[in-house]
Amino acid sequence: MHLKEADLKDFLRKYSVAMILLIMIIALSLFSWRFLRPSNLINISLQTSIVAIVAIGMTFTILTGGIDLSVGSVVALSGALASGFIVRNGFPLYSAITLALLIGVGIGMLNGLLIVKGNIPPFVATLAVMAIARGLTLVYTQGRPISGMGDDFVYWGSGKIGLLPVPVLILIIVLILSYIVLRHTQFGLYVYAIGGNEETARLAGINNDRSKISVYMISSFTASLAGILLTARLWSAQPNAGVGLELEAIAATVLGGTSLMGGYGGTGGTVAGAFIMGVLANGLNLLEISAYSQRVIKGVIFILAVMFDIYTKKEKKKG
Amino acid sequence: MKKNTADYSERFGLVIAFLIMIFALSLLSDRFLTFQNILNVLRQSSINGIIAVGMTMVILTAGIDLSVGSILGLTAVITADLLHSGIPVVFAIFLGLLLGSSIGLVNGLLITKIKIPPFIATLGMMTLTRGLAFTFTQGKPITGLNEGFRFIGTGMAGPFPFPVIIAAIVFVAGYIFLKKSRHGENIYALGNNETAAEFSGIPVKRYVTLVYAVSGFLSALAGMILVGRLDSAQPIIGQGYEFDAIAAVVVGGTSFTGGDGSIWGTLIGVLIIAVINNGLNLLDVSSFYEQVVKGVVIAVALLLHRYAKKKN
Repeated sequence: MHLKEADLKDFLRKYSVAMILLIMIIALSLFSWRFLRPSNLINISLQTSIVAIVAIGMTFTILTGGIDLSVGSVVALSGALASGFIVRNGFPLYSAITLALLIGVGIGMLNGLLIVKGNIPPFVATLAVMAIARGLTLVYTQGRPISGMGDDFVYWGSGKIGLLPVPVLILIIVLILSYIVLRHTQFGLYVYAIGGNEETARLAGINNDRSKISVYMISSFTASLAGILLTARLWSAQPNAGVGLELEAIAATVLGGTSLMGGYGGTGGTVAGAFIMGVLANGLNLLEISAYSQRVIKGVIFILAVMFDIYTKKEKKKG
Repeated sequence: MKKNTADYSERFGLVIAFLIMIFALSLLSDRFLTFQNILNVLRQSSINGIIAVGMTMVILTAGIDLSVGSILGLTAVITADLLHSGIPVVFAIFLGLLLGSSIGLVNGLLITKIKIPPFIATLGMMTLTRGLAFTFTQGKPITGLNEGFRFIGTGMAGPFPFPVIIAAIVFVAGYIFLKKSRHGENIYALGNNETAAEFSGIPVKRYVTLVYAVSGFLSALAGMILVGRLDSAQPIIGQGYEFDAIAAVVVGGTSFTGGDGSIWGTLIGVLIIAVINNGLNLLDVSSFYEQVVKGVVIAVALLLHRYAKKKN
């Protein structure tokens, strides 16, 4: 009896995300005939791709038992910088993008150093960096959007290869890379080990500091990448882009089954979690529920997802 | 408890840093040390100060409350709406404060009963209550409030603005509660070591729930002062206030690991943040730099306090 119950919980934990997503898709296709149209499905994946890419990086930090609240600001900063380099400084497209990505990674390194060398709890350190990066964005843009980057930049957000929008294609590449890094490299092993038990990992001879700094650099890298794609999709860099994005990325990660205590989860679940939220937002739009109420619903779902995470984790400990 | 020389030198250092800032600003701008400007700084800091007292208690339990700005927003629009419905001012204020405390209570229960980490629980509550504020008002501000109510934000008591008096009362009450009562002692004890506190019979969960309720109550109170002053309750009001409150507590030397810190440190932290804002304004620095400066101040303060502790 007890064994069966434990099996059920384990099954729930592993496949709940996929099942919830499937149930939602079936329910929504019954409610609205527009939902299953290919154009709508492509639209959902395009809208979800930005959050999903950010959430993949977020998953790395959460796997080590940390958090990165600065991602939303990094999204805005890298988008503004890449656009500014092209429009104001006349940099070639790829130099501008590379430089913006590098600065983004630098901010991740600052996060990592504050946390590891300064011994500051992750959520405070990244909260301070969140303010700094947002402030730098406002200073750089003077509070105004930057536009006029040209068609080859816009292609990265609005172009298509076959049926697939470019951001969706990049999401797929990032997902595959993150899977390889987490499951087939020594670094990936370290990430899980640190999240499982930091002290044990240290005693086992793992260089915790370097691995922890690396996860924050990865998180900032994916946020910068998402920022550039978002800017390319909107045709302009908005100084307030990405506000509140950290919440959506954390929610996607937790919905996807990665434990906030670290050491358990993966990026595949995270992307599924992001799609649950994307499908939900799309469904609420199709059902004509106001944007204001959607915020309330997002908050409730966020708390429910965390409660579910804690509930299944508790059962696991008991078993 | 840790009351040694290093602790005193740390707090002393904070006061000195504050005095140097005042001295430097008075040299840079002749408008700084005027009576009018000082009152202005105090009035501006009263709202952050009231929220920061609650935040101090929360952080002393090794928690955090990210929902203060949204609680402020929701209680502000609902109180304003109640005032429009014509019920007595005192009753509207009472209901607003009750609502703020209740949201804080829910935060506390999510954290103690369901064991959600504080920053996640309050992050969810932050989105939820902000969404409620927008849904309730449909995004429109509520203006034209009762004169009697507006006294909370605009009134004067002798030479002092009423908000400053309220903030002073909140600080003194916070001090008495934390340092002169058994409850305060228990909060420090559970912040230092939760397990040990539990074993010695302290009702840890009840205290943790209590501090979030207090934080919600004070956020609602701060919201009323703000709305009274602006004569307008917008659903976006209070956004980002959690950041200033956390900054004040951190600069004031309260440790994020809990059990170590004080209300007076927070008071100096609040004043330092207010003087920085005021100084940037007087020196005509673009408001875009404000966030950069605040972020850097938080990071530097954290590192300095960490360094002082290590040396000890």
